[in-house]
Amino acid sequence: MANLFSNFKSAMYKNYGENPGKMLVHTGVLGWILSAMAQVSAVVFNDKISKEQKSFLIPQEMADAAINIISFYVITSSFKNLASKLVSTGKLSTSKIRNYIKSKVANPAEYIGKLNSNIEKDFPEIKGDYKAFKNGVDVVASTVGSIISCNIVTPVLRNEYAAQKQKEAIAQMHGKEQKNEIKQPAKVSMDSYIKMASMKYPSSGLKV
Amino acid sequence: MALYGVNSSISRAPLCSKLRDSMRSIKQKGLNILPNAEFSNEKFLYRLKDIGKNFSSDKQRLALGITALATQPFIDAHNKSVDEKTRKVSVARTIAKIIAGTLTGFLIRYGCIKAIKAFSQIPGKGVAKYKTIFTPKGVTDNTTDAFEQYRNAMGTVVALGVMVFTNFLIDAPLTKFLTNTFVKHQEMEDKK
Repeated sequence: MANLFSNFKSAMYKNYGENPGKMLVHTGVLGWILSAMAQVSAVVFNDKISKEQKSFLIPQEMADAAINIISFYVITSSFKNLASKLVSTGKLSTSKIRNYIKSKVANPAEYIGKLNSNIEKDFPEIKGDYKAFKNGVDVVASTVGSIISCNIVTPVLRNEYAAQKQKEAIAQMHGKEQKNEIKQPAKVSMDSYIKMASMKYPSSGLKV
Repeated sequence: MALYGVNSSISRAPLCSKLRDSMRSIKQKGLNILPNAEFSNEKFLYRLKDIGKNFSSDKQRLALGITALATQPFIDAHNKSVDEKTRKVSVARTIAKIIAGTLTGFLIRYGCIKAIKAFSQIPGKGVAKYKTIFTPKGVTDNTTDAFEQYRNAMGTVVALGVMVFTNFLIDAPLTKFLTNTFVKHQEMEDKK
């Protein structure tokens, strides 16, 4: 057990020690996964929700979670990876780094902005300046990506999805009401259903 | 071993090689479209370096929360797929969730990162063993950027573990309370 914890600490140090942007993306995804688990278990362990409702709500919560997690990961990591690539190829740089490259390479135009260029490996002498700049750019890109994904793309996608599901649920409820019209009166009013539905399908997940 | 051989043969196949070359060419063209940018402003570079070093997940959560307040209620308020009543409740619920989530998310992350800093000291004379619980093996310098980033990452992971519980204990009841308060306020405004 102690060994496992020691390995975990070493893995964290090795993976995230020099890459704060990657850490923000990975812990963000972990946050969404945990929040999705909380959402699903909130439905699973809720005694007030019937088995029938659970069979509908659980897959829905899971689909909902998938939208959150995938959109967060795809958008945030794309932003971060693009920014990293721009910095590592020298497309996005500081005067100090670029001047250094110019002093070391005969034709800088053949080096800067080329897909196979890697400043960190090719010019280890300026690793300190390069790393500081790259970490800053990575963190800004990850944060901008996460803001766009969490606060713009996900709410729009979720609203579309929730509205569609709400319509389906109301249509299904109408069908059941018609079938059970004589046997059993409707227990839930439309007004309270709308209120419940809007509470159930909010625009943002219970982000931890 | 056999599987590795198959994979290796596939990746060396002419079709795969052509595809890879085409992808590289597309990526390179994409890269060429973007203009070169060079930063020389010392103040800006200092701020950027500072962000890379000190902008941890607690600050990111705060930034997400603040921008969420500016965008998400607006998106909900203009959601034409639902009726007006649902829209109003949805806006109230969203604002409540953002406030509750940001408050707990920021404070717990901040607290956990601070705690990890306190419990990841470098072993030595006068340093109690419990203060080195989170120090990785072989690390002898706690002033490097890498170690600072490790502390942030470990603090964030611990915070996420804590938030599995606070999600139910604080977030959910606080969200419910705030939503009801906002909905009541909205109803009173509508009656006027």
